[in-house]
Amino acid sequence: MPKLTIDGREFQVAEGRTILQAIDDLGLLMAGVDIPHYCWHPKLSIDGSCRLCQVEVEGMPKLQIACNTPVTDGMKVHTANERVAKARRGVMELLLINHPLDCPICDQAGECKLQDYAFDYGVAGARTKEPRRPAKKSVELGPTIVFDQERCILCRRCVRFCQEVPKTGELGVFGRGDESLLETFPGKPLDNPYSMNVADICPVGALTTRDFRFKIRVWFLDDVESICNQCARGCNISASRSNNKIYRFVPRRNDAVNETWMCDHGRMSYKLNGQGRLAHARVDGKPSSAYAAAQRAGELARQIRAAGGRIVGVASPFASNEELEAFRDFLAELGAGPARFAVPRGESDEILVEAEKAPNANGCRALGMTETNDSLGHADLAFVLGHTTHAAAFADVRRVVLIDSHESALSARADVVIPARTFLEKLGHFTNGDGIVQRFDPVVEPAFEALSEREALDEIRKSAVSAAAREPG
Amino acid sequence: MQSEPYVKNYLSEHYGSDAYRTLEGYADAGGFAGIKKALSLPPDEVTELVKASGLRGRGGAGFATGLKWSFMPKTAERMKVIVANGDESEPGSFKDRMIMERGPFQVLEGILIGAWAMGAKRSFLYVRGEYGESIRALQAAVEELRAKKYLGKACFGKKGFEHDIIVHCGAGAYICGEETGLLESLEGKKGQPRKKPPFPAQHGAFGLPTTVNNVETFAHVPFILERGVEWFRQRGTEKSPGTTLFGVSGHVERPGLFELPLGTPLREVLGMAGGVRGGRRLKGVMPGGLSMPILPPSELDVGLAEELLVPKGTHLGTGGVMVMDETTCMVRVACVTSYFFRDESCGQCTQCREGTGWVHKLCERIERGRGTAEDLALLDDVPSLMEGQTICAFADAAAWPIQGLLKHFRADFQAHIDEKKCPFSESFEL
Amino acid sequence: MRPDTRAQIEALFARYPAKRGALLPAIYLAQAEKGWVDADTTRELARLFELRPVEVYEVLSFYNMFYTVPQGRHHVYVCTNVPCSLRGSRSLLRGLEAYLGVQAGETTKDGRVTLGHEECLGSCGTAPVLRVDGAYHENVEFADARRIVDELE
Repeated sequence: MPKLTIDGREFQVAEGRTILQAIDDLGLLMAGVDIPHYCWHPKLSIDGSCRLCQVEVEGMPKLQIACNTPVTDGMKVHTANERVAKARRGVMELLLINHPLDCPICDQAGECKLQDYAFDYGVAGARTKEPRRPAKKSVELGPTIVFDQERCILCRRCVRFCQEVPKTGELGVFGRGDESLLETFPGKPLDNPYSMNVADICPVGALTTRDFRFKIRVWFLDDVESICNQCARGCNISASRSNNKIYRFVPRRNDAVNETWMCDHGRMSYKLNGQGRLAHARVDGKPSSAYAAAQRAGELARQIRAAGGRIVGVASPFASNEELEAFRDFLAELGAGPARFAVPRGESDEILVEAEKAPNANGCRALGMTETNDSLGHADLAFVLGHTTHAAAFADVRRVVLIDSHESALSARADVVIPARTFLEKLGHFTNGDGIVQRFDPVVEPAFEALSEREALDEIRKSAVSAAAREPG
Repeated sequence: MQSEPYVKNYLSEHYGSDAYRTLEGYADAGGFAGIKKALSLPPDEVTELVKASGLRGRGGAGFATGLKWSFMPKTAERMKVIVANGDESEPGSFKDRMIMERGPFQVLEGILIGAWAMGAKRSFLYVRGEYGESIRALQAAVEELRAKKYLGKACFGKKGFEHDIIVHCGAGAYICGEETGLLESLEGKKGQPRKKPPFPAQHGAFGLPTTVNNVETFAHVPFILERGVEWFRQRGTEKSPGTTLFGVSGHVERPGLFELPLGTPLREVLGMAGGVRGGRRLKGVMPGGLSMPILPPSELDVGLAEELLVPKGTHLGTGGVMVMDETTCMVRVACVTSYFFRDESCGQCTQCREGTGWVHKLCERIERGRGTAEDLALLDDVPSLMEGQTICAFADAAAWPIQGLLKHFRADFQAHIDEKKCPFSESFEL
Repeated sequence: MRPDTRAQIEALFARYPAKRGALLPAIYLAQAEKGWVDADTTRELARLFELRPVEVYEVLSFYNMFYTVPQGRHHVYVCTNVPCSLRGSRSLLRGLEAYLGVQAGETTKDGRVTLGHEECLGSCGTAPVLRVDGAYHENVEFADARRIVDELE
């Protein structure tokens, strides 16, 4: 393993890596070793054009770009001397001479690398008096992305992203020199299932998503680590919230799961949290408190059990591992068999999207639950934990107790309905398609009385078991 | 068609003859002796001869040709490629056009010698798109070579020596003269220079091992093979042997090409060009094309060779000697120069894309009489932000001439600022 | 694109280790049909080369000798780089602008001439130089230039 010395600190790095890659591998890039960069991105090909990552390498007369300079054993690199600082100031100044400096009306403000690096490495004043290069404002590149040409620094991350990840290649840089402009070909808009990632990787305010732009200043947001629940990939995300409201999902880097990307469908799924919610508990179609509904469910269980009726459990691949475990124990205590579950399926791609359109089918499997789309057959009582898409399977089920966050075909016919928290309203873990267990944290509080599935199960169990204890025989 | 060189030497001896552009006429004038000599030698020995000759690239950078050839991988696992750079676009340089138009077989013979030495099966001769006459001359020459079976499976009847030459036409972009910009363009892309590593010898045209040489460089090679290293080294300097076609332009009585040994004093070259026009006084000379810093009249005794010009703060470049007389406004020269580099920057690297535009705006501002002391200070500083920090040498080439003009003709810039107008009423129009 | 143009382009593919090498020559052939390359032709080139139209357009937009807007029937270019400027090419260009009633980069109303300036054409020893429909006219004075322009159909 080559030894690399950066500003006097020694590191052992992997073979065949460039300086920037090696530092990134160690998790130290901009987190211990400051090598500012624009065009380089850990998951895209190396471009080498922004020139901001120049460092001094002992033995090389010119400054070298850290992104493209292979590490050799014993290499000594300086990132903080005056020569490097002057080069960075130069790049920053030149990037800003044609930049509109319109931070007060720019939606990127607060998470803009141009701001950050200008603050860290730039100069406060502008030395240029020249008019800035005229360019277009608010160009709709496609259904999801709005482009401000004036702010673009031509790092071509977005161009490479479209070429290399979705492989749709909608973007190009037309012209040359200081008249180069990022564009799409007429009639071929930026429109692919991953298009919104370009807004994440755009280091400046040139590319923003139509959905999020101008909704809120980012410094009013705080980010909570979560997991997308739209398929078995389990893309790592940050959910940005303010005042108990979710404003967006953005992908969070996890090289083993989603690298730094997520699909547009998953990104927009933050909206589902507020739509079609099961806001009130119901018993036999009438509003109830959640606790009263849970007690009623417990009673049903007790009665049917006492009468020797058949009780079945239906789990959901949308539930967390913790809830599934509690459900398994709950069913065992009631003497019901192991739960079954059904997984909604759809298209997959070669990128991130998996055919299993639920985050935790593997969690169900790990607990010995049975995957089936078959009818439940005749049963006297079904306990249903979480979202299930197979309402038809319940045709011959007499009574249904449903614990779920959203209204569905099943909630319309269930005898007892207990509103539950969504994954964004609680803590838990999903086991993704590759068997990786991933944690999500609560982002917001529900706007109404909702129980976590575990709380609900606990209430039902108490009611079912304690009542049973009171009525011997 | 441009007139033949005023002063000739071995390269341009027959440039006045139309027959020299035909295979037969070229052979009659002694052509193909070099390749025949080369084919009698093992390939490595040919490279050694070129090394020993001290031939330096004539495309501007002056790199040792034999050494470059030796970088080519020795194994034949992947097809090896030669690229001849005929994208001559350096302002003030017009020698390659002459060579391609009047001595196309010299270039092709040189390529074939390189092909033998390096084991290359294919070469691409990249000619700038504006050079219609060069393209026609080279294509006709290639056709003649093919018909004569000097190209093909067994060139010159030599078993195992397979080679073909493709003449490829550029489309108007100065940056395609940069070797990796050229390779990108040859591959059908924008001519944006490649970051290195990888280098062309490993990953060149179409990903294949590639050696790129200027067309004039190739044209010298047959003479070295035919007449020997000793003979070649009798011309020019120890470090820069041989001749080149100096192109003299601007304010001289007799602009044109002069084939002279490298190291010929600038004063002599000027004299051969009839001196400054109309008996005016000399103001400055750019000795190596627009990318190289200007020299003041006090430096006329410098010899035109890279090692002699470097101590004077400039370079031989492509040997395009641009002469400016006393009427010349050097701020206007800076305006034209900076416009050119702004126009031709490929736009990849920040410093070059943004810096060339800024420098041009500063020059224009000063020329229009709106410049201030701060603008002049900026003009001192901005080129230093660009120099030595980009993928290719274009940003250096954009910075150096401005730095040269400021070093030697600062008074011109200052006068514009002081008088709030251009004080050079007789200067060329902008 | 005409079938014969397409056939000529397809014949170029084998000359290069990768098909895309033939793109620049192919654009010249396509452009020859009407003097510029429109969006449909760009799409057709993209199909022939198994590229995306945006990739072909990037190339078109990079090079001076490719045109993506309609051009005059004739191109008249004046070199305005240093060696030509020193010998009066900018005065020549100003003269032609006045004579034709257009600015450099524009086309005359009758569509006859597109006037432009060009970077160094490699004719510095015979400056100033005019490039008219690809042909060089060297050591040109304004009277010559006017005569050359007048002779264009």
